[in-house]
Amino acid sequence: MMKGPGEMLEQMRQWVTQRRASTIGTHDPNHLPTPQIAGDQKLSECRLIVLDLETTGLHPGKDQVIAIGAVAITGQVIHLGDQFDLILRRPELDISETVLIHGIGPEALTQGHETEDALLYLLEWMDGDPILAYHSAFDQRFLEKTLRQSLGYSQNHTWIDVAELLPAVFPDTKTGGRGLDNWADFFNLEVSERHHAAADALATAELTLIALNKAQKDGVSTLSELSSKLRYYRRLQNMNRF
Amino acid sequence: MVAASTDTPRPQNTRAIMMFLREHAPFSSMDDAHLAHFAEHASLRFYADNDIVLSPEEGPVQRFYVVKQGRIRGERHNEKDGKTETTFEITQGECFPLAALVGERPTRTLHRAAGDTFCLSIEHDAFVTLLSESDPFRDFCLRGVSSLLDQVNQRIQSGAMASIGSSNSLDTPLERYALRNPIVCSPDLPVRKAVARMHENNVGSIIITDDERHPTGIFTLRDLRTMVAEEKGPLDTPVGQVMTRKPICLTAHADAFEAAMLMAEHHFAHLCVVDDEHHLIGVVSERDLFSLQRVDLVNLARTIGTASHLRTLVSLRSDVSRLVDAMLAHGADSGQVVKIITTLNDVTVRRVLELNIKKNDPGIPFTWLTFGSEGRQEQTLLTDQDNGILFETPEGMTEDQVREKLLPFAEIVNRELAECGFTLCKGNIMASNPKLCLSGREWDDWFIRFIDASTPQNLVYSSIFLDMRAVFGPREPLEDLYGKVLTRIQKNALFQKMLAGNAMNRRPPLTMFRNFRYAPDGKKHTIDLKRQGLAPFVEAVRVFALANGVEEANTLERMDQLVAKGAFDHKDANAWKEAYSLIQAMRMRAHQEMLDRNEPLSNYIDPDDLNPLDRRILRESFRQAQRLQQKLEVTYQL
Repeated sequence: MMKGPGEMLEQMRQWVTQRRASTIGTHDPNHLPTPQIAGDQKLSECRLIVLDLETTGLHPGKDQVIAIGAVAITGQVIHLGDQFDLILRRPELDISETVLIHGIGPEALTQGHETEDALLYLLEWMDGDPILAYHSAFDQRFLEKTLRQSLGYSQNHTWIDVAELLPAVFPDTKTGGRGLDNWADFFNLEVSERHHAAADALATAELTLIALNKAQKDGVSTLSELSSKLRYYRRLQNMNRF
Repeated sequence: MVAASTDTPRPQNTRAIMMFLREHAPFSSMDDAHLAHFAEHASLRFYADNDIVLSPEEGPVQRFYVVKQGRIRGERHNEKDGKTETTFEITQGECFPLAALVGERPTRTLHRAAGDTFCLSIEHDAFVTLLSESDPFRDFCLRGVSSLLDQVNQRIQSGAMASIGSSNSLDTPLERYALRNPIVCSPDLPVRKAVARMHENNVGSIIITDDERHPTGIFTLRDLRTMVAEEKGPLDTPVGQVMTRKPICLTAHADAFEAAMLMAEHHFAHLCVVDDEHHLIGVVSERDLFSLQRVDLVNLARTIGTASHLRTLVSLRSDVSRLVDAMLAHGADSGQVVKIITTLNDVTVRRVLELNIKKNDPGIPFTWLTFGSEGRQEQTLLTDQDNGILFETPEGMTEDQVREKLLPFAEIVNRELAECGFTLCKGNIMASNPKLCLSGREWDDWFIRFIDASTPQNLVYSSIFLDMRAVFGPREPLEDLYGKVLTRIQKNALFQKMLAGNAMNRRPPLTMFRNFRYAPDGKKHTIDLKRQGLAPFVEAVRVFALANGVEEANTLERMDQLVAKGAFDHKDANAWKEAYSLIQAMRMRAHQEMLDRNEPLSNYIDPDDLNPLDRRILRESFRQAQRLQQKLEVTYQL
């Protein structure tokens, strides 16, 4: 007997609710997935996390993460059932300045998730897979800080900067700028809601698909080959500076 | 796993995909729960230009795809010339591969990305779930594009329907109408008693039958009125003497449209429905077909056909337009509506001729010919006169002497037709032109020159003179002439090839990138639905029809005949007929809208004014025209 989508959805909702309820206190911070390094994993098979954070500001020292959006690419396919879209509960934060940009008001924040729970959940969901982000240094600094402060977690994950990946595979492309919007416009992508963590993560993931498709055609087939291509690109960039 | 935040029931990306889907068929008519099921089970793939998306070698299709961005091209290898041809293109919001997925078989067409393309897809399981849960989705997948075409037809009808109210479709077979139990009598019954019987049963007609219940005549209240007014006889007269003999009969399988057309042509308001052995089983009246008095095709045809003054005919033109609106509302398809318009135009032309013969008979037997769209019975409200005369030369007269009598007559007729709304032909293709008022022998010579000396100018005229029909006068002279013309063309391969080359001049308005190519002469960003949309079909079909000895002039009927003769594949012809009819339907709807706004009629439309579904249909219809032209190219090695 086939299940109707309505029924399936209901089951899924229950399952998520249960899981959420049961996650508090049952995560085992000592047995979290081990971060992987960029090795022989094949681009045509491996799972990559594409992540975007919304924060209260630009300074990791004083600002805080308020929303985490992420999608997973597996074997160069974005499976929309495998995504992460959470608002953290940070009622004590003053977000009056940035609320205009990302649209998360104090109300939504109070309804968000317990930070610790959400972060443990994120670590489990990421499963140690490499993390990609646009201008990843920003997200990396914020996420590492948050993980350290909230969970005392300090393992190093593999990060890849999509802002670097794109010009590395499309070296002669004139996008009119280096921002996410420039590349999204160049490839005619529609970003459903800019400055929404999950929507930005999806746009970044779409750009990643385009870049990986090209990289494979250029003979790059594993993560380590991709890393060396990026290292080569960085070296070229540095040389050009002089 | 989907981790939903609590303040919104669904993650942003799921909502965004649902929003995207909602803009396209069939998703636009699906429930939110089903859209969510799609979005949550979807995956997103990227294909760079020329990447293969699906190929016949991959085995049975496992996924249902929707183009999120970009385009997919269908490629098939042509065995004959070894070339690869594009069989279809799929753009944003469109789904594939329906037939293969439903049939659980591999695709027969290589699907390739044309430009950077993102596709959403769901796996077979999720597809099957949606198929079993969502009615609109199932209808769409099982009926494929044809259900889309239906949606357009439905929209055309419901638009007109809003002002009219609902009714049966004209496709309904007569047996589905509540056939009135016919009131019958024998021919020896006195009129007085027959009328009493009609009165008791509250009907307007009585059928006179023989002993085996075969209808032999009909007597209506109108007949009674004439009888009394013209003092044709006492009311004791047996009804058999005053009835209309041989009433029009149709079998119960015939549809309402056929009945309406017969009524319009013969100006009758009733017809008999009989079984296969010609036994009377019912009567259908005009009222039964058009439950609303406003849709009065038969009445209008009768009023036109009996009008006693030109000014009455002129004033009736606006009724024709109103009728077309009503016809569309009653589910007539574009093929039916153009035939109705043609029928009413024919009635008008005939009446103008009759009135003029009554006033000033030239005394020469002649056949009134119509050419071009009127010849093809494909007229819409915007129509030119293209006509000519084929006369018999009476003994003792020369052809020029005949013309001396006929030309002044034709001139008046042309002028009066113009007053009735048939625009004078700018190219002077009219019966009053001495070159087009000819005897059978002269016409034959004319066509010999036309075919043998096929100048570019002649080829331009082929769309006019090779589509002809008799509207008034005896048909036989034209049949003789056309038979000879067809035989000559069938034997003349060079003329066929030149016709084919000429037909290729009208390219469907699509660019290489499947955008619309706008008309060079119209307003900015407009397409000429007639010259750019319909003409490629009409011209190409004409070449095949003439080359295969098809006598019909109507484009749809020509295609049917070409299938019967084995020149067209049945499925191809259906796709072409459907595409042609849809362009025609959009053109007519545009005309009706222009009339509503009191604008002059034109064939130009801006595709941006169409909704996405209509735009997509229009594009696909133009693609079918391209395919038909490809067949022409292959056949005549152009």
